Amino acid sequence: MNRPYANLSRRMTAMALLVALIPLNGLGLSLYYYFNYANNETLKEELRIRALNRASAIELFLAERTALLEVLAHSARLTQLSNEATLSRLLSVMNRRSWSFVDLGIIDAGGDHRAYVGPYLLKQQNYREAPWFQQAMLKGVYISDVFLGYRQVPHFVIAVKHGGDGQEWVLRATIDSDVFNRLVRTAQVGKTGDAYIVDKQGRLQTPSRLGGKVMDRAGVDLRAVPPGISVKERVNRHGDEVISAYAWLDHGDWLLVIDQNPKEMLGPLNLARNVELAVLGLASLFIIAAVLMLVRLFIRRLQANDAERAALDAQLAHSARLVSLGRMAAGVAHEINNPLAAVSELAGEVQDILVPEQAATLEEGDVIIDNLVRIQNQVERARGVTHRMLKFARRMEPHLESTDVNELLRETYSFVEKEALFNNVQVKLDLDPGLPLVQSDRAQLQQVLLNIINNALDAAGQGGWVRVNSKVEGSNLAVRVSDSGPGISRDLAERIFDPFFTTKEPGQGTGLGLSISHSIMQRLGGSLELESQAGMGAVFVIRLPNVAPEAP
Amino acid sequence: MSAFKVLIVDDEVDFLESLVRRLKRRMVDATGVTSGEAALKYLAAQPADVVVLDVKMPGMNGIDTLREIKKSHPQVEVILLTGHASVESGVEGLTLEAFDYLIKPVKLDELIERIMEAFDRRKVVGEISSAERDAG
Repeated sequence: MNRPYANLSRRMTAMALLVALIPLNGLGLSLYYYFNYANNETLKEELRIRALNRASAIELFLAERTALLEVLAHSARLTQLSNEATLSRLLSVMNRRSWSFVDLGIIDAGGDHRAYVGPYLLKQQNYREAPWFQQAMLKGVYISDVFLGYRQVPHFVIAVKHGGDGQEWVLRATIDSDVFNRLVRTAQVGKTGDAYIVDKQGRLQTPSRLGGKVMDRAGVDLRAVPPGISVKERVNRHGDEVISAYAWLDHGDWLLVIDQNPKEMLGPLNLARNVELAVLGLASLFIIAAVLMLVRLFIRRLQANDAERAALDAQLAHSARLVSLGRMAAGVAHEINNPLAAVSELAGEVQDILVPEQAATLEEGDVIIDNLVRIQNQVERARGVTHRMLKFARRMEPHLESTDVNELLRETYSFVEKEALFNNVQVKLDLDPGLPLVQSDRAQLQQVLLNIINNALDAAGQGGWVRVNSKVEGSNLAVRVSDSGPGISRDLAERIFDPFFTTKEPGQGTGLGLSISHSIMQRLGGSLELESQAGMGAVFVIRLPNVAPEAP
Repeated sequence: MSAFKVLIVDDEVDFLESLVRRLKRRMVDATGVTSGEAALKYLAAQPADVVVLDVKMPGMNGIDTLREIKKSHPQVEVILLTGHASVESGVEGLTLEAFDYLIKPVKLDELIERIMEAFDRRKVVGEISSAERDAG
């Protein structure tokens, strides 16, 4: 493919791809981002609600236990509870409804263990220095963070101070970690979901599925967590992107954290998003393939058309050259034949007069006789040349035959019908059915018609129209070819029949078409004229003498 | 001299004069004129059987002269003789009932043969028409 076609092909491809792909991909990508956004928001909302529910459940659990211990502490006397049998009975009653207390202990104001029921040997311990003891003595009710204590097992306690009747002591219960951890774990969802409680120092209060054991550092930046309930996207300490919901528990020291890997939760939602992306990709591929194919088809068509046009022009130019050559040959032959005939007669007359017997009496008479014969031979030779020239000229003469102009127009139109269709030019043939047959050169007339109709199709351009009309006008047949093109301005109109005049791009036309058509029509005894006015589209009129063909 | 009269029409004087003399030497009763107008004038004054007519002449050309001859002397046979062979003039000449169409230069014997043939036809046509006249 040569340069202009390659350039055109590139431009068309780029344009078509831009026009088709930009809106499609714009729509597709905004849908994609909307899906992403909506899915994330849905997940965050779900996490927030789950955090709220779980936090309420945990608060309720702790509040119920605390209330139970408060009732006990305020309604009993130290002497009653110092009896370990009584305390043991109380523990079993408290655990009857749901197991949650590991042990109970009574500690007096001095920090000594007055009574203890539970699995550990703690009776002898003094808690004067224990933070939970000091806090309970200070505040009346205290829920501790998880600590090791004397038993060297991570646990947390609820401590309630008895006071008001002159005696101060503390009732302490250890919450069963398994029960509590299970409660927190109910907030975990799926294979990668995690839920745990972190204290103000950032230590885990319940085990984290991914984050570690109780009392390890949780890797949560507590300073960045606002009060109440919040949701945040973050990177956990394994480097995974997670969405975390934070809920501060009522007593203000613990933070419930629910981590969720969005990939797992968004799987089904993202499937829709990915399907959308895949459809977008396929559609884009399809469009690219279609555009490439159409452009290639179009360029191939264009090349074929141009080649056809060039061949037609070349043929016209060739036959025009032959015609003028023929005319010249005929003229030359005529100019030579007349003197040749005279020479032949003059020499012949001398031959008539100078019979051989007479010549014999003359000096060198045989030379005269011989030369006369030679003169006749040379005339004969020249005659051979001029007659061949005339024969050639005759071949170039119009070959007259009975011609149906309407049929010729229909046939000519059939040559360019595809091109018209291809360029979306509407062609209307308005032919007079009463048009008589005429004596003309079918082939040459067709060359002219084809040339004029082709020009009209070019001028009409995409979406235009061309009308071809035939009728009898006085002693002529007239064919009018009009188009919806821009027309031909007055100064151009004077030059369009000049040889080599063209308004087309270099390489698109030889500029000989109209000039040759014009001379063909003159030779056929007709004419080719431009009737149009500028700005109104061109109208070319082809006139042929209405000469009836000879009866066969 | 021959029993028939031949008129040669050509603007080339050298050719015309020489041809007429050669025909006479061969006992063909021939006369030469140099234009279409002169030919018509000659025919108006005396009869001729065959006319040998050049096509391309100044003034009245061969085709027009042929048309006039056929109008006023329909029984005269005309042979067109020209240096230029164009199909238009050939077709038109034959359409106007010229006997033949020859291209210069033509051999004298050939020309005489064509003239005789033309006269033969002239005789037949003449007999038929006189027979018709007699019958009428």
